Amino acid sequence: MTAPAIAQPAARRKEGFSAFEIFVFSLVVALLAIAIFGPLLAPDSIYSSDIANSLMPPSAANWFGTDDQGRDVFWRLIVGAQTTLLSAFLVVTLYSLIGVTLATVAAAGPRWLDEALMRVTDIGLALPGMIVALGFAAAMGASLRSAVIAMAITGWPITARMLRGIMRQTMEQPFVAGAQVLGVSKWRLMTKHVLPNSLDVLIVKWAGDIGTTVLVLASLSFIGVGAQPPSAEWGATIASARGYVSTAWWTVVAPGAAVAITSIAFGLLGDIIQVRRDPSLRGN
Amino acid sequence: MLMSIDSISKSYNAFPNPPAKVLHDVTLNVDTGEAIGLVGESGSGKSTIAKCMLALIKPEEGAITYDGIDVIHARGEDLRRFRREVQMVFQDPYGSLNPRMTVEELIGEGLLIHKLEPTAAARRARVAEMMEMVGLNPNDMDRYTRSFSGGQRQRIAIARALVIRPRILVCDEPVAALDVSVQAQVINLLQDMQKKLNLAIVFVAHDLAVVRHLCEKIVVLHKGKVVEQGTREQIFDNPQMPYTQSLLAAVPVPDPVVGRARRAARRLETAN
Ligand SMILES: Nc1ncnc2c1ncn2[C@@H]1O[C@H](COP(=O)(O)OP(=O)(O)OP(=O)(O)O)[C@@H](O)[C@H]1O
Ligand SMILES: [Mg+2]
Repeated sequence: MTAPAIAQPAARRKEGFSAFEIFVFSLVVALLAIAIFGPLLAPDSIYSSDIANSLMPPSAANWFGTDDQGRDVFWRLIVGAQTTLLSAFLVVTLYSLIGVTLATVAAAGPRWLDEALMRVTDIGLALPGMIVALGFAAAMGASLRSAVIAMAITGWPITARMLRGIMRQTMEQPFVAGAQVLGVSKWRLMTKHVLPNSLDVLIVKWAGDIGTTVLVLASLSFIGVGAQPPSAEWGATIASARGYVSTAWWTVVAPGAAVAITSIAFGLLGDIIQVRRDPSLRGN
Repeated sequence: MLMSIDSISKSYNAFPNPPAKVLHDVTLNVDTGEAIGLVGESGSGKSTIAKCMLALIKPEEGAITYDGIDVIHARGEDLRRFRREVQMVFQDPYGSLNPRMTVEELIGEGLLIHKLEPTAAARRARVAEMMEMVGLNPNDMDRYTRSFSGGQRQRIAIARALVIRPRILVCDEPVAALDVSVQAQVINLLQDMQKKLNLAIVFVAHDLAVVRHLCEKIVVLHKGKVVEQGTREQIFDNPQMPYTQSLLAAVPVPDPVVGRARRAARRLETAN
């Protein structure tokens, strides 16, 4: 007699992680580790120029070669990782806070306020975010801080719109009516009952947002309204090296690859989290 | 009279159709400590009445008065007192408890927001006491409700509502989603609480057997109108309206002889 076959493998596969997922997780963890600990290990020489050693191709001593100032490209990337990721985290955190606040006010407030806030959000969604951020950053004076602030004040509309819709749905749940019957204040109703049951989507969105922000931030710095040389921020590094593309390709390719790999890694992480939360999306 | 509902009417917007009137001139009273059954078929407006009584929605016409408070227009201290003294238990034991709160937070929330206990420790003690009272294990206080059964969740909901000692408990089909074996336990618990706390209960159901056990007064609702109301004996032994009679005919009867006779009668009716 044979035991009936039970569909165990499928169930198990759902629990475990695929090789690809593990690869993406490791990449993200490695990037975070580099951003946090890398700068502590960097040699002091990367902050001073050594013209005699400029534009050296990759070698055992300088893995990714040296730049026009003779500084080690590899270690500058490591230091730049911290600047880049920290700025991206700051941008996403700030605009998420703005988005959460506006969504909460819209969902909790009277109809006219909701309408007004959503019209403003529509306008925000219709404007090309990067161009507006560029304008803001330029107006505040080109610097990394300006770029971060500009992106924070232009990045919130998607979060606000999405979250407000979800909060409205959550407010239809019986436990919200239950809290009202108990007599909770509007503030407690929103912060304790509605928001905690609506925030899941932000956690999913967060990783993908970091990926996008890394790219946009590097672009702003490359255009010249973000981080300024001699900052090791990746966009600024590419900008200051762009004159040497033909003679010393490594000075441009290395930071370019760093931007690409980082934004793709976080983007993939976002996709993985999203599919894991909602398996019906698999295959899209 | 603790609460009086005086000819209320309520319509829901049904855009683009004209608003649909679902309550027509409904009048009923709730006295201290009494259990009232609100029965009627699906869509007859039972939940709408319950929501009006809880001030979750406002009727367009009529008045609702609770112990001197004009419920429809209540604000400030009046509204706070109303919120403390009129509580509810919903049908859905899954959707009606915030999944992000522990049992202690759920049951203790009323004590916290109405400032009924001075300290967190005192609140915790009251929560534990209440849990014992409704047949829950106080050791489960720090757990989330995810893993609790439907019956346990309804006990949590009842504890949450009763810990602040309300005078009216509105229950909208509180056992409809539960296993038959658990239904009786929850009904008995409600009856127990009613006696112990001198609580008025408004019990919404379309199952007359449940109402018969619990409620001394019964209000029959049909298409948003009160078609009959009276004591348990009046309604069950001598129903006046054909609608009430048809509701009673749908109640499963424990006695097989009566049941068989009734089924035979119904077959005859449909045959003719
Ligand atoms: N929010 C709403 N918007 C529009 N119509 C509604 C709304 N809520 C209820 N209705 C309608 O009002 C009528 C009465 O609904 P209600 O929920 O009060 O009935 P009920 O007696 O509780 O029924 P059930 O036994 O199915 O719970 C129904 O026709 C229903 O479709
Ligand atoms: Mg109902």
